[in-house]
Parts: sequence; C-alpha cells; structure tokens
Amino acid sequence: MKKIIALLLAVALMACFAGCGKSDAKSDKTDLEYIKEKGKLVVGITDFAPMDYKDGDKWIGFDADMATKFAEKIGCEVEFVEIEWDNKVFELNGKSIDCVWNGMTLNDEVKAAMATSNAYCNNAQVVVVKADVAQDYQTAEACKKLKFAVESGSAGKDMAEENGFEFIEVKDQATALMEVASGTSDAAIIDSLMAAAMVGEGTGYEQLTYTVALNSEEYGVGFRKGSDAVAELNKFFDECKADGTLEKIAETYKVQAALIK
Amino acid sequence: MIQHIAEQFPTVFAALNVGFLQTVKLFVVTLLGAIPFGLLISFGSMSKIKAISATVKTVVWIVRGSPLMIQLLIIYYFPGLVLHTPIWGSGEQGRFIAAAIAFIINYACYFSEIYRSGIQGVPIGQTEAGKVLGLSKSQIFFKVTLLQMIKRIMPPMANEIITLVKDTSLARIIALQEVIWAGQAFLKGSQGISGEIWPLFFTAVYYLAFSGLLTLLFGYIEKKLSYFR
Repeated sequence: MKKIIALLLAVALMACFAGCGKSDAKSDKTDLEYIKEKGKLVVGITDFAPMDYKDGDKWIGFDADMATKFAEKIGCEVEFVEIEWDNKVFELNGKSIDCVWNGMTLNDEVKAAMATSNAYCNNAQVVVVKADVAQDYQTAEACKKLKFAVESGSAGKDMAEENGFEFIEVKDQATALMEVASGTSDAAIIDSLMAAAMVGEGTGYEQLTYTVALNSEEYGVGFRKGSDAVAELNKFFDECKADGTLEKIAETYKVQAALIK
Repeated sequence: MIQHIAEQFPTVFAALNVGFLQTVKLFVVTLLGAIPFGLLISFGSMSKIKAISATVKTVVWIVRGSPLMIQLLIIYYFPGLVLHTPIWGSGEQGRFIAAAIAFIINYACYFSEIYRSGIQGVPIGQTEAGKVLGLSKSQIFFKVTLLQMIKRIMPPMANEIITLVKDTSLARIIALQEVIWAGQAFLKGSQGISGEIWPLFFTAVYYLAFSGLLTLLFGYIEKKLSYFR
C-alpha cells in the first residue's frame, strides 16, 4: 500500500513539473505560429444553421465554409469542435480550440475576453411572440407588458435590460423559444438570423413570429486574447470581399443580405 | 402530431443512438476503472498507518463533497487554463478521456466506502478462524472476506451503478456528445429539424430501458449470491 501511494505521489509530482516546464517554453511563439506548427485550426462551434451545421458528417454553412478556406490559406487542416457556448472563453484560453467562429455577436464582453476580427455580418435582436397576438406588439414600448425569456449572457439579455423588460434567463435561445411556445413566457429575444430560420411557416414553430428589432449588431470571429491570427484573418476577409468569394459563399447559404461590404 | 413525429423519427433515432453509444461507453469505462480503483482507495482509508488513512479520507471527503459537474470542469479546463498545458487534445476523444477520468475518480470514492462497509461487516471471527487455520493475510482476504463482502455490497452497488447511468448526462457540460446532448440538438436545430422537444423527452426511454436491464441483471446476481443462508 505504501509503495502504491508513493508511486502515485511521484507521478503527480512529475506531471506538475512537466506542466511547469512546458509553460515556460510556450511564450516565445506567437499564436499564429502555434496554430501553423500544429498544422490544424481548431474551430469552436455550435450547431447553428445557416452559419455552422451538419450535412451528413461534414460541417457546412457560411461560417464553416469561410473557416475551411481560411485554414487552407494559412496551410492548416480545419477541425470543427462542438462546444458548450457558455464555456467559449475557457475553451480558447485552455487551447482546446483556436477560435470561435459561429455567428458570434461582437458585444463588450466578447471584445474584452477575446481578440476579435472585423465584423463580417449584420444581425439584430428581435422579439418573438405568438403569431395570433403579434399585431399588438410591434413597438418596444408595447412589449413592456410582456414577460420575456432570454438566453443567459446573450445580447438578447442586454436588450431586455436596456428596455426595462421583465425577463428570466434560460440556458440558450432554443430554450427561450420553447418557453414562448409552451406559454411559460410571453415573448423571447433572439438573433434575427436565427429567428428567420426557426420561427414562422415551414419551421418547427409555426405558431410563433417575430416583430420588433430592438437593435442592430454585428458578427465577428474570436481568437485568444492578444492573438496575431486576427490580423491574418482580417486580411483574408478583405481579399475575399475583393475577389467576390465572400459574396458567393453568402449566397449559397442565403445570408448575402446581412453581409457587411 | 403523431404523423409529424413519425416523419422525424428515423433521423432523430439515428442521432440519439449515436449519442447513447457515447453514454454507454462512458458508463462501461467508468465501471471498469472505478471498481478496482475503489478497492485500492478503501484499503487506503482502512490503513493502519495514520498518514495514509488520513490523506485518503480527506481526498474521499473532497471528491464526495463537491459536485461532479465542477469536478468535470476542473479536470477538463484546469490543465490548459492554469498550467498552460492542454493535455486532453481537441475534439471528442480528449473530452471523453477527461470525462472518464473525472467519473472514475468520483465513483471510485463512493465505491470505496461501500467496499469498506462490506469488508468491516464480515464478522471478525471469520478472520480469526482463517488465522487459526494458518492462512496468510492475502489468503484470508481473497478466500474468506472478499466473497462475503461481494455478497453484502451488491444492493448498495446496484444503487450506485444505476445512479451512474443517469449521471453520465453531466458530461455534456464539457461538450461530450452523449444522448441528452443529441436530444437537445433538435431543440435548437440540427439536420433540418428544429424547435422539437420530443427528442429530448424521448432520451428518457433510453435511460429507463438501460436501468431496467441493469435492475434485472442485479436481481439475478443477488439471487445467485444468496448462499450461506
């Protein structure tokens, strides 16, 4: 028993030393060099049509296609990893992913926690209500009577606070929609791109619709804080705008109207 | 409604099966690791050397006393965030290994206490009889104590193992794509199906079937072990 304990302690100690040793060595490489050396750009995403979604086993979508092209340009393979959205900053700093490229709204929290690219897409936060009462809630003022469900830590929550709405926070935007559909909340605030894809005729939520847009905002890509990969990506975005690649890929996924030119 | 579900069923069923495979994998790996590791810990906590038993008991207290969800987050994120050494690698596999290690440590600690109760519950007279017959310490443990201990610990072990079936769902916090994750994907939208909650509800059927199977299995084992009566 004593021997086993001693062995376990020794292993733990060694693991500690190995950790320290490596952390000393890491600082002399820039983030872009680190990614290139690894030969693989690991992109953190969630299943979010039309930005990142699965076609069979392959990830496609406006963001996924652009990420694949960017990885190609810096001479890397691309790997998509589904993450828990709340943990995106840990995932980046812990290096289990290299960037977050998933229709991410550029708000103050995101800008403070990550190195963010130039905006590439417009978005808005919209109010989702049951279709049969939609005509009563066409202005932000009228919506003040409603009880809202918003995603915790989202841009939608910021909007609810700003407008002085009564709201509860739920896990994600899908749960917020669920709340409205099941009648446990009167309304939800979600991304307009998502609302366009998820509510209304021909979707899972035919009884819902979206009304007033509370703000306008922009999507960007996030890297680790201080990463030099951002400059490389901004250059890549400019090239893609110039040669029409960005427009072409946007058209494939019908998001060209939201594109920032 | 029924027809609506019937149309989506093949897609959802296939996705949930993939998720459930991950759930079962985590379950099996956890048991394979925690059953022997728990025995080691129980020896540690019963050690006559004070330093060892005190250390092991403290570890057991920490592991049993803190939420498994926090342990998962610490084990997965701590090496990369604090030690700057991402040891788990990216992708599904790294997440699975981290989750399995967290589960093995957590369940081994619970198992160790069950083992201890089983070992200490065997009458001291049994050990004394072994000594009189001139058996060595290890002979006494493996040929006398262990058999009776296994029989005694079956009901609490079954309890713990059925809890494990459902606890595997906690691994989704580090984005391990088990069956609940697979069900939730259809809430948000995946493979052209969005805003559907029934796949998430349906995952309960998997857990029910699996724990039902285990209940039958443990009932059978207990019956087999009902000797010495």
